Amino acid sequence: MMDQKPLLEARQVFKGFFGNPVLKGVDIALRPGRVHALLGENGAGKSTLINLLSGALQPDSGTIAVDGKPVGRFSPAAARASGIAVVQQELSLTADLSIAENIGLGAFPRRFGLIDYAELHRGVRDVCAMVGLTEPLDMPVADLALGRRQMVEIAKALYRKPRVLILDEPTSSLSAHEAGILAGLIETLRDRGTALLYISHRLNEVQALCSHVTVLKDGGVTADQSLSGIDGEGLVRLMVGRETGDLFPPRASANPGALRVEVEGFSAGLVRDIGFSGRAGEIVGIGGLVGQGQEDLLLGLYGAIPAKAAKAEVSSKPGLPANVGAANAAGLVYVPADRKHEGLVLPHSIASNLILPSLGRLARNGFRDRAGEAGLIAELAKRLTIKGDVARPVQALSGGNQQKVALAKWLPLDPSVLLLNDPTRGVDIETKREIYLMLRGFAAEGRLVIIASSDTPELVHLCDRVVVLREGRVAAELAGEAISEEAIVGAAMGIDRKGAAA
Amino acid sequence: MSAVSSSSWLYGAIQRRRNRGLGGLYLIVAAFLILYAVLFPGILSVGGFSKFTQNWFPLALVTMAQALLMLNGGITLAIGPLVSLGAVIAATTMDGVFGVPGGIVAVALTGLAIGAVIGAIVAHLRLPAIIVTLAGSFIITGVALILLPRPGGFIPGWLSNTLAGHTPVAFLLLVVVLVAWKAFLATPLGLGIYAAGDNPVGAFRSGVPVERAKVVAFALSGLLAALAGLFVAAQTGSGDPVIGTPFTLNSIAAAVLGGVGFLGGKGTMRGAICGSLLLSVMINVMFFLGFPPVAQYIAQGLIIVGAVAVPELLKAWRAKR
Repeated sequence: MMDQKPLLEARQVFKGFFGNPVLKGVDIALRPGRVHALLGENGAGKSTLINLLSGALQPDSGTIAVDGKPVGRFSPAAARASGIAVVQQELSLTADLSIAENIGLGAFPRRFGLIDYAELHRGVRDVCAMVGLTEPLDMPVADLALGRRQMVEIAKALYRKPRVLILDEPTSSLSAHEAGILAGLIETLRDRGTALLYISHRLNEVQALCSHVTVLKDGGVTADQSLSGIDGEGLVRLMVGRETGDLFPPRASANPGALRVEVEGFSAGLVRDIGFSGRAGEIVGIGGLVGQGQEDLLLGLYGAIPAKAAKAEVSSKPGLPANVGAANAAGLVYVPADRKHEGLVLPHSIASNLILPSLGRLARNGFRDRAGEAGLIAELAKRLTIKGDVARPVQALSGGNQQKVALAKWLPLDPSVLLLNDPTRGVDIETKREIYLMLRGFAAEGRLVIIASSDTPELVHLCDRVVVLREGRVAAELAGEAISEEAIVGAAMGIDRKGAAA
Repeated sequence: MSAVSSSSWLYGAIQRRRNRGLGGLYLIVAAFLILYAVLFPGILSVGGFSKFTQNWFPLALVTMAQALLMLNGGITLAIGPLVSLGAVIAATTMDGVFGVPGGIVAVALTGLAIGAVIGAIVAHLRLPAIIVTLAGSFIITGVALILLPRPGGFIPGWLSNTLAGHTPVAFLLLVVVLVAWKAFLATPLGLGIYAAGDNPVGAFRSGVPVERAKVVAFALSGLLAALAGLFVAAQTGSGDPVIGTPFTLNSIAAAVLGGVGFLGGKGTMRGAICGSLLLSVMINVMFFLGFPPVAQYIAQGLIIVGAVAVPELLKAWRAKR
C-alpha cells in the first residue's frame, strides 16, 4: 500500500486538567483510505485525544496538523471546515428537534439567511439511506430508541461529507444488524479514500475493520503499528501491564468466613439475572468496562435502587434490604464514587462530616452529645491518619483525604459489609496505599469488602476474588492465581479465554 | 424514503409535529375562551375583542421573552423591571426632538442592549442566569426610578388611541411578532437556541455558536420586554417606574402553563403563547365570576401547580400500565 500523506495528525500533544496530566506527548497520524484503531483502557486518554483532533479542546503544547500544515486555534467549526467529523460516544443530539434538523445542525444549508429545508431534505434523505434510517425525517429524536439515535448521530457525521471520520464507540448501543450496516459503511468510506479513526472496546470489530492500531496507556503511546498478524490476546497485551511496585499490601491467606451476601437471579438497573456472593473477610472486586452495571449491583444490594432476586440472603437475613435505612441496619454501608456530591458535605468541617451517620445514635434525649462526638471524632481521625485540624472544611482536603473521610464516617456503625464504588479514583498514590491498607485491615477484622473499580491493577493485586461484568451479566469470575490483568480486560471486552470464563 | 419533492414538505411536517402534546392545552384554552364568551358576550364585538387582546398583548410579549430564555436553558428575573424601564423611556423621550419614532427606537435599543449585556455576562463569565438577572433587575429598577421618580411623563394621545383604542391593532402587532419569531426559528441561529438549551456540549461539538446563541437570546428577550413596556405606557397614557413588577412571575407562570420546561430545549413558543392566553383568560373569567382577589391568587397558583403535575402524573400512570 502506498504511504499517503496523513490528512490529520497530532504531533507530541500534551493535555492536562487541573494539573493532572492526561496526555503526555501523543502522536497519531490518520491517512486516507485506512481504518485506524485507537485502543486503551478506561482513562487512558482516548476521549481527550479525540476532543483535540476535533477542535473541542486545545492542546497545552504540541500541534494538530491538517494536510501536513499545523493549525493555529482549532475549533469544532474549523474542524468541520477542514472536513473532520466525529461520531461522539455522548450523543450530540437535541431531543425535541426532528431527525432532519439534528442531522443538519451546525451545517445547515441556507437561502436568504433561512434554513433551506428543501436542500436539507435532499441531503438528509441521502445520508439516511446510507445508514438505513427509515423513520420519518420530521420525527423528533426523543421518540427514537438509543440505537436509532446512534444511527442519527452517524448520519449527522456523514452529512458533513467528511474526509476524516472519527467514530468513538459507535456500536455500543447498536443491534447486530445496525452494527453490520455500519461495518459496510466504514468499508465503503475507506475505499473512497476517507481517513477513519475507530475507537471500540469490541476487539473483534477492531480486528475485522481496522488495519492499523495506536494504543494509549496512561496518556502515552505504547504501540503504533500495523494490525496484521496480531490476535485478540496480542491486542490485550498491548493495553495492560504496568509497574505496580509495592503499592499493594500483601494478600492475607485466603480464609473466608461465613456468607454475608448471597443472591441468585439478581436484577437491578443494568444488572440482569446474576448470581453473586461474598464471605466475611473477603475483598471482592467488581470489574468491567465503564457502565456495565457495576454501580447498579452495589446500589441494588444497598437498597438504593429497585432490585429483585430469585433468592437472597444479606447478613443472615432473607431478602434484599428494602431501602437504605434497612441496609444500614443490616450492617451494609456504601461509599459512592462521586464523593463530592454524594459522599460528603463539602463546605462542612471534617468533624461534622465524620459524625454525620452517628448523630442519631449518639444523641441523648434528642440533644447532641458533644463530649461523645468529640471522642469519636478524635478516634476516627487517629485511625484514618487524618492529620491536622478537624474543624477545617472537607473541601480543603486533597481528593485522597476526602475519600478517607467518606469511608471513615461509616466506621462507628461497625459495618459488616462495605460497598465501595471506585474508591481510589482521582486519589494520589500515597493515599491509595493507605486506603488499600485500610481495606485489607477491614477484611482481616472479618468484614466483607465489595469494591467496584475501573482500575485493573487494583482488582488484580487487592482483591481475593474478581467478578467481571459485561452488559449487566457476569462475564467471568476469577479467584486466586487466575486473576490477571489479561484475564480481566479480556473478559471485560468479551474475548473467550480458555478456563477463565465462569 | 418517499419521493416527496415539494420544497415545503419537510418544514410543514416538522411544524405539524410540534403541535403534538399540545392538544390538551388547545382544548383547555378553547374551553376557557368559550366560557369567557358566554359570560361576557361583548368579546365578540370588535371593541370587546380589541380590549381583550390589549390586556393579553403585554403578557404575551413577556411570556415570549421568558420562554425564549427557558428554551435556551436559562431564565430571567429582569422581565418586570425591563417592562417598567421600557415604559419610563417611552414616556420621557416621546416629547423630544425625534418624537414618537425616536422614543420607539430608544426603547428598542435599550432593551436589546441591556439584554445583550446580561447575556454576555451569563455566557462568557459562565454565571448562573438567575443570579445575574436578579442583580440586573435591581439595577434596572433603580435606573427607571432615577429617570422618572413618580408616574408621569408624556405619551401622545394619538399613540394611546392607536395601540389601545377600539381597533385590534395590538392583536395585529402580536401576529407580526409571531411571524418574526417563526422566521427567526427558521434560521440556523434560531434552532441553535433550542439545541444549546437541550444539549450545550453536543451543540458546541456540532459547530453551533453556543455563546452567541445565548447572547442573542437574551438580547431578543430584552427587546420584547422593553416593547411590552412601551405598550403598557401607551395603554395607561404615562410612564410608571414600577408598573412592570407583576410581569416577572406571570411570565414564568404563563411559560410553565404552556409546557416550557425549566431545563432547556423542552417546549414550544406556540405552547407558551397559549399559556399566556390561558392565564389572561383565567384572570378575566375569575374576575367576572366575582372571585375575591385572594381566591384568584390561590386558584391561579393551584392551576399552575396542576399544569405541571398532571402531565407528570399521567406519564407515571402510563409507565406503570
